[in-house]
Amino acid sequence: MTMRSPIAALALLLSTAAPALAAEAGAKPSLLDPHLGLMTWTIVVFVLLAVGLYYFAWGPILEAVNGREQALRDAMAAAEKDRNDAARLLAEQRAAIEAARNEAQRYIAEGRATAESMRGEMLEQTRLQQAELLERARKEIESEKVKAIDELRREAVDLALAGAGKLIGQKLDGAADRKLVEQYLATLGNK
Amino acid sequence: MKTASLAALLASLVLAAAPLRAQDRPATPAPVASTVEQDSAAVTLTAQEPAAAEHAAPEGEHEAGPVDIITPHITNGDHMEIPYWKFPFFKEIELPHWKPIVIGGLSFDMSPSKHVVFLLLGSTILFLMMVLAARSLRRAAVKGEAPKGGANAIEAMILYIRNEVILPNVGHHGEGFVPYLLTAFFFILTLNLIGLVPYGSTATGNISVTATLAIMTFITVEVAGVRAQGWGYLNTLFYWNNDLPIVLRPVLFLIMSPVEMIGKLTKPFALAIRLFANMTAGHIVVLALMGLIFSFAGPLSAAPLFMSVLIMVLELFVAFLQAFIFTLLSSVFIGQIRESHH
Repeated sequence: MTMRSPIAALALLLSTAAPALAAEAGAKPSLLDPHLGLMTWTIVVFVLLAVGLYYFAWGPILEAVNGREQALRDAMAAAEKDRNDAARLLAEQRAAIEAARNEAQRYIAEGRATAESMRGEMLEQTRLQQAELLERARKEIESEKVKAIDELRREAVDLALAGAGKLIGQKLDGAADRKLVEQYLATLGNK
Repeated sequence: MKTASLAALLASLVLAAAPLRAQDRPATPAPVASTVEQDSAAVTLTAQEPAAAEHAAPEGEHEAGPVDIITPHITNGDHMEIPYWKFPFFKEIELPHWKPIVIGGLSFDMSPSKHVVFLLLGSTILFLMMVLAARSLRRAAVKGEAPKGGANAIEAMILYIRNEVILPNVGHHGEGFVPYLLTAFFFILTLNLIGLVPYGSTATGNISVTATLAIMTFITVEVAGVRAQGWGYLNTLFYWNNDLPIVLRPVLFLIMSPVEMIGKLTKPFALAIRLFANMTAGHIVVLALMGLIFSFAGPLSAAPLFMSVLIMVLELFVAFLQAFIFTLLSSVFIGQIRESHH
């Protein structure tokens, strides 16, 4: 019976708002007469429809929509995750390639440095060897020369002694003679 | 494509006009006959007899004089026209009369009148469409593929009304109001559209139907208010402002409380009148323009035809618009009363 006061109020408002219309439309087919039977029909039909649609339409439809929205959200989240993963993997790959390149660069530089140093070393070594060889050769030559000079000197002493012996007619063969000549020759050699 | 649909619309308009032309047959009993006498009715149209008689001659004798064809069309009645295969392609049937049920001094005439028939027809069509759409959508959801066809359109409408109209307006935790408001939207929309179909009648152009809908919204709003505010709901009925000086409080209470209460009643009243007036007005305009076709009865009658086609297209828009407005305003009212204690 909560319905009655609004109906009454509405009817009151209708009659106050549109007396002219109501008067003109006449008694029989009035446009603004609330008809209780039709109102009851409307309530019955509407309530039945609302209940029917609630159970057979809105529920399933919104459920399906929510399900699809959920699926969509999931798919989007998965796609987002995949994309992030891909980006991460790409970054990792890039970093790895960069690292490899750096390493290669480093190896090349290292190899070059090694080769450089080795070359220098070998050059140095060669030079040293060469110098050593030269030195040795020079020393040998020097010693050969000294030896030859000594030989020559001894020969000269012998010749001189032989010559001098012949001259003085006696054999100058004593160690003292030899020493004498050698002393003399040494003074010559020093000149 | 466009010309084809325009031609179909024209054909349907001509079909719709056919019943009007022969409305004043002598066989037609009470309602029309009574309106014949009162030719001073607000919405009357004088159907020119010569023009009508040319076509409706086989139907029998015709009384001369102005005949109101608009009022019977837009008001409820115990007759309705159904499609018929012979000229003039309609048949008038009389709907059964039931004895009114009297409860506590109120007489409920539950006879299935024209608008009752269209209420039932519209609800049945709506229910079947929605159930089919729901089945299609559920099947698509189970299969995990995108839904297709009309179900998609219905789903788009439902989602738009729910997400853009209802939920933002009724406020937080307003999901409980969605079924009522969705039903109201589609109920009004279907009835509006059925009124535009030839042989159709607009149940939402009847003040009883719109008033009932408005009362249901009113009850929903008040129940929402009581549930949301508890005793604070009384503040929406009575005006008691604690910021005022103590002397003024009872004075303003007496002045403002009736205003508050009237304000409460104005909203459903406006809802009822808006829907009723919009639907009725559109039909009156279309019918008046169609009546001009017969008044002119010459080459000039093509002009009102095109005008009525245009108005018909406008009516199509209004059918959607009014259903939308009703739902939107109901949502806003519910949202207002739920929010007002903040």
